[in-house]
Amino acid sequence: EPLLGPAARQLVEEHKLDPAQITGTGKGGRVTKEDVLNHLKAAPKA
Amino acid sequence: MSDKFDVVVIGSGPAGYVAAIKAAQLGLNTACVEQWMDDKGVVKLGGTCLNVGCIPSKALLDSSHKYVEARDYFKGHGITVSKPEIDVPAMIKRKDKIVGQLTGGIAGLFKHNGVTPIQGRGKVLAGAKVEVTNAKGEVSVLEAGNVIIAAGSVPVAIPPAPVDGEFIVDSTGALEFTEVPKRLGVIGAGVIGLELGSVWGRLGAEVVVLEALEDFLPMMDVQIAKETAKILKKQGLDIRLGTRVTKAEVKKKEVEVSYSTAEGEFTETFDKLIVAVGRRPRSEELLASDSGVSLDERGFIYVDDYCATEAPHVYAVGDVVRGPMLAHKGSEEGVMVAERIAGKPVQMNYDCIPSVIYTHPEVAAVGKTEQELKADGIAYKTGVFPFVASGRALAADDADGMVKMLADAETDRILGCHIVGPSAADLVQQVVIAMEFGSSAEDLALTVFGHPTLSEAVHEAALAVDGHAIHIANRKKRK
Repeated sequence: EPLLGPAARQLVEEHKLDPAQITGTGKGGRVTKEDVLNHLKAAPKA
Repeated sequence: MSDKFDVVVIGSGPAGYVAAIKAAQLGLNTACVEQWMDDKGVVKLGGTCLNVGCIPSKALLDSSHKYVEARDYFKGHGITVSKPEIDVPAMIKRKDKIVGQLTGGIAGLFKHNGVTPIQGRGKVLAGAKVEVTNAKGEVSVLEAGNVIIAAGSVPVAIPPAPVDGEFIVDSTGALEFTEVPKRLGVIGAGVIGLELGSVWGRLGAEVVVLEALEDFLPMMDVQIAKETAKILKKQGLDIRLGTRVTKAEVKKKEVEVSYSTAEGEFTETFDKLIVAVGRRPRSEELLASDSGVSLDERGFIYVDDYCATEAPHVYAVGDVVRGPMLAHKGSEEGVMVAERIAGKPVQMNYDCIPSVIYTHPEVAAVGKTEQELKADGIAYKTGVFPFVASGRALAADDADGMVKMLADAETDRILGCHIVGPSAADLVQQVVIAMEFGSSAEDLALTVFGHPTLSEAVHEAALAVDGHAIHIANRKKRK
């Protein structure tokens, strides 16, 4: 279970994402807001 | 006045007014119903916090602390002053001015954001309608797309000590004394009792705090509570635990209080008695029988994790629902509900709500206490740093207390932080932010802190978790 900051948590909730599928680039593998946005860009909604 | 709104908020305290402003900012046509008025008949916004709670108590705490500094601390800095005197009415007047400024500020924010304030007592009817009874007794019904109940709380009354508003007072009355009582009794050694006892104690009252519980500040970390008790005792607060008040009677302009302890029955006589045993939700006469909203067994409005009641389109936030009775908790719930009404799936993190007692030094906490971690069977590490080792605290002649950091033994994730000391409220906020981002103790240890600052005590406590503190001797860690 990767660690998410408040903004990343919010985005994951909003887009119903699985945080485990997102590559975290933050300190200690944390998932940043930028990581979630990049993940969304790479995987556009069907 | 239109009587059709997208959102009707009942109550204008920190939960209600923030919810109303947020809803209006999100483009919802919003009204805020408030029963309090000033003597000119103008609606009085801000709720308990602004009018008779957080803000006025802080104003008096700051005034009384300055008096103590002048009386007891200036000399140590080489400053000679003649014996300082306290003009209580002037102190109260300053407090009233601040309250007026802030409540007027909310009225201005309502205007700016297009929130309609409505004077009256709100009641939730079936079908998300709100009945409003104004000061003249006129009744109107507002059609609301959504209702946010933010009715707040009131002081708990106890049968042995009925409040008369003159000799026996609640927290509201204790903010309005016209002179310093010679002998002051306080029932309840919670946040409110300690803050109000401190105010009048600093100004010269002989204060006795009677607490029914055997434990001091049971919601706080045990080590921090113990340290706090020591510091407050040193300041002259006579805190008596395990004392149950059985009777309080006004006789010849004095209050005679009878109480029982394990040792037997005793009486004490006071000039004034403050009853501060807690607060309860203000949920009576708030709901029509067919509103579809229900109360739990303690009188709180029943809500889910997102503050939704059992009735569609009816929400409840703040002191009137479960959770800590704190202004910032209510405000954030208000924001969450407004956002959710507007269609955004905002959620709240209840694990990272800081709590503060504004004595001097301040006491502040976030996350789990050591006794909670023990009870949950979680393996943890502790880092403690005392302010007596802080250059900044010593320079300020304000070095009582400590910072205590608790981290998970496996993952090093910060689980809690507990502080008694100078600016504890502001220091703990740094850890709240860190915890929100899932910080480990090492993350804080690797962060650069300015020198000399009080914040360095947080840094050193984080370092101490792994036995790496620089400015104290680390406890030997077993390998």
